[in-house]
Amino acid sequence: MPRILFRTVCASLGGLALAACGGSKLDETSDDSVAAQTGSAAALVMACSGCHSSSSGAIASLDLYEAGLLREAMSRYKSETDGTTVMHRIARGYSDEEIDLITAELTKP
Amino acid sequence: MRPALPRRALLKLGLVGVGASMLPIPAMARTTAKVVIIGGGFGGATAAKRVKALLPSAQVTLIEANPVFTACPFSNLVVGGQRTLADQEFSYSALAEVGIDVMTIEARDIDPIAKAIDCGPDLSVTYDKLILSPGIDLRWSALDGYSQAAANVMPHAWKAGRQTTLLRQRLEALTDGETVLMSVPTAPYRCPPGPYERASLIAHYLKTQKPRSKLIVLDGKDQFSKMALFQEAWVEHYPEHLEWRGASDDGTVSRVDANANMVETDFETFQSSAINIIPPQKAAFIADRAGVTDATGWCPIDPLTFASTLQPDIHVIGDATIAAPMPKSAFSANLQGKVCAVAVARTLSGLEALPTVLANTCYSYTTPDEAISIAGVYRNADGKLQSVSGAGGVSPLAADTAIRQAEAAQAAHWFETITAEAFG
Repeated sequence: MPRILFRTVCASLGGLALAACGGSKLDETSDDSVAAQTGSAAALVMACSGCHSSSSGAIASLDLYEAGLLREAMSRYKSETDGTTVMHRIARGYSDEEIDLITAELTKP
Repeated sequence: MRPALPRRALLKLGLVGVGASMLPIPAMARTTAKVVIIGGGFGGATAAKRVKALLPSAQVTLIEANPVFTACPFSNLVVGGQRTLADQEFSYSALAEVGIDVMTIEARDIDPIAKAIDCGPDLSVTYDKLILSPGIDLRWSALDGYSQAAANVMPHAWKAGRQTTLLRQRLEALTDGETVLMSVPTAPYRCPPGPYERASLIAHYLKTQKPRSKLIVLDGKDQFSKMALFQEAWVEHYPEHLEWRGASDDGTVSRVDANANMVETDFETFQSSAINIIPPQKAAFIADRAGVTDATGWCPIDPLTFASTLQPDIHVIGDATIAAPMPKSAFSANLQGKVCAVAVARTLSGLEALPTVLANTCYSYTTPDEAISIAGVYRNADGKLQSVSGAGGVSPLAADTAIRQAEAAQAAHWFETITAEAFG
């Protein structure tokens, strides 16, 4: 549709609507929630969720892991192949610091 | 289907978003921006869900022409006879339930300046941020003689659905002793190991149901994904039922003739009643209409946010992107949908995008109960996607059957998880 019509409709509905449909959509009252849900640790575990997801318990749900055990497994897979078919190939792509972040994120209460 | 005119009229006037924004603003209110996703596959459905979860006050719309999604991963098991097409189908009802406006309509054109999507004569949808997850289109003109009409005779089955059924029917109707033919294109194309998984499962069908028949795979290249593993499996399981010819062995198909059930290479002519042509591909046409494709026919992106490098406020994810070394896979599309959703949510919340680590895992069946895998880990800092050296790789050669069976079981679990992530 023509943008000009869109703007006209917005304007005719007054200030509130104009603020909502024209220009910046940022909420002035800050948004800690998005920041908290999309930080480095939250972003890192998105790669895990393609196989390990709370929306399906098909492959071992990481929710069941205790932090120490998860960190130990990820760290071990960086050098050993026993006990896994694919995780050793993936774990080698992550630094120790990233494994700490992933572990903390997946096991946070 | 949605109610016709009132809703459309509102959308046309941009009033739906305005109306939503005039509701009382809850304490946790965030952006009321309008985020539109085109394409409800593994990338788009995931992105829609994730944007809505991160920005509950945003107006999130998914535009998808098909009321039901038919998954490509595992559709080779339909071709092989292990699954039904119904096992591949997923509805968008879970997306609608979380407040995503699911529009079952085709996006026909995009005006990136007006930020408006043409969905037909009576309907235009505007956006603040657009996420395109359009998938692929087939390059009909790229292979001499292959066309939409020819695909009814020689199915590609590279978009799951009716085409998958058609290929299965061709195999079922095959006379024992007749040769099956498959043509495979050069990269890039959707699902790099997919043709070879399909070849394996067709060969399995022939071995068990039409033992005097065999499959000849005519390939436009000499190297392919998981090649050593597939070839090991073929020697073990299908020595009499699968023959692969690479480009340097006259494998490149130069012409097809659907009326004559015929396939030609430079030096040879083949005939069969069961021919599977996997043609060259490109990003689906709507990406072209949006102006986000380059001369290759695919979509260049900023790997940090999956924003198009060619148009503002449009992101592209999934098979349509130029995201190598990440492959065109469902796993990649799903993860790119999540990374993109996070980038969009952060941008709309005044936050900078952060670099992260992406990964991919792809399973391929070599028999109905054995599978092999490839994995990769990628970083998206410094403006490019790069494989992490030392990580990733394929299943071991000469592994115990138990390992192949374990990977087959994991593949099935993976499918359950990835479809729940996208559509659950």
